[in-house]
Amino acid sequence: MKMTKIYEGSHQWIMFGRDAGKPPKLIDTNQYAVRTANRCLLLEPGGVELFAPMMAAVLHIAPVEQITDLFASNPDPDVISSLGLWDQALTNAKLHAPAIWEEFLNHYSCDSIGYAPIADNGGTIKLDSVELQLIPAHYLYSSGNFHVYDPQAKILMSGDVGTALETPDAPVFVEKFEAHIEKMRFFHQRWMPSNQAKRAWIERVRNLDIDILAPQHGRMFKGDDVKRFLDWFDALQVGIAV
Amino acid sequence: MSNQTKSQFVAVASITSELTAVMVVAKEISLAAANAKAIAFRAGDKAKGFQPITDFINELAKETIELVTNINVSALLLYRVTVNEYRRTSAYNRFQLAAKLADTAVYTASMEVPVSNAKLRMDECQRQFKRDVALLLGQLETVMHHARAARVIAANSRIEASQAGEYLQNLQAVAESVDKAAHTIHDNVQRCRMALSVYHNT
Repeated sequence: MKMTKIYEGSHQWIMFGRDAGKPPKLIDTNQYAVRTANRCLLLEPGGVELFAPMMAAVLHIAPVEQITDLFASNPDPDVISSLGLWDQALTNAKLHAPAIWEEFLNHYSCDSIGYAPIADNGGTIKLDSVELQLIPAHYLYSSGNFHVYDPQAKILMSGDVGTALETPDAPVFVEKFEAHIEKMRFFHQRWMPSNQAKRAWIERVRNLDIDILAPQHGRMFKGDDVKRFLDWFDALQVGIAV
Repeated sequence: MSNQTKSQFVAVASITSELTAVMVVAKEISLAAANAKAIAFRAGDKAKGFQPITDFINELAKETIELVTNINVSALLLYRVTVNEYRRTSAYNRFQLAAKLADTAVYTASMEVPVSNAKLRMDECQRQFKRDVALLLGQLETVMHHARAARVIAANSRIEASQAGEYLQNLQAVAESVDKAAHTIHDNVQRCRMALSVYHNT
């Protein structure tokens, strides 16, 4: 599992992905960790098959007992089907996930991890002195969906928004935006159901100061590419399958 | 999922299926008993010996239905234990793999407690599975006793039926149906026991 530190300040952001040992039939995913002095939050911790390499990678930055928080933007298996395993490994952890998905997520078997439901209008996650904002992103693509914004690090973990389907050895950042567009187009047109939801999200996100937009699949966007992505997405017609 | 785990799931699921058939047959015996009681009543003195047998048949059918109902509850519990054991074993294996993959990581040692706890939970589940299998086998043995008793009752019914004059054929049909039902119960329960006995001594 490749680890890339994407922010270093009073706390750290680490991106995990491009796992060389991943079974080829599984979609490649990005996982993220926010590490503070005494706690560690895993964002989109991944599927069952990814649990062992992900846990092994996290042990480079935090001991098991300091993994105190998990976040799932939605209940997809590639996002959180490892929940039943984290549940058996962690003794003092909470899962932050959309309130409307609680009973669905319990199908992944969760006995000891507490469910911290996120209300439709969002909320915050406090890790030591760091406060992360939970930005509503409903219908992008899941009906109950949130992104995580860190105003200090200026990072927006954007779930499925910004996804590109490409090879597992792809670079972690977009290098040439124009060349990247075709890797994103079909996914956004087909998976994102609502132009109205898309516009509401873009309006919300344009008010945030973002250095890095970090999706769950594909490459991250940094600097001017964040604005380029928002402009491109704004102009894109989605929900094409009807 | 290993082949042994798959077989374990199939064995536990097949018990419920076999027991559903046993339940149907037990209800048929109960009906046969009611039918026999009516015939014996009409036959009067000619079927005097048959009358108490109908009560036995009815009692046996009721007890079998009750036993099978309880066994179904045990089978459901065993299924849950099987699922739990699979989860615990899977977790233990993945925790071990994580610890191995993280051999150079700063915090590898922090996996020792989760690995050790996962092993304890897995071992406990395996012990629970064996205990529950033994319990279920005992319950199935009781149903086998009932099936054997039903066959004895069927044999006695034939003897009594032979003295029932014009009711002979009707009462013999009752005896035949009880005998057939007892065979079916015996065979189905025997299949359950065979499916489970593999896991009793492993």
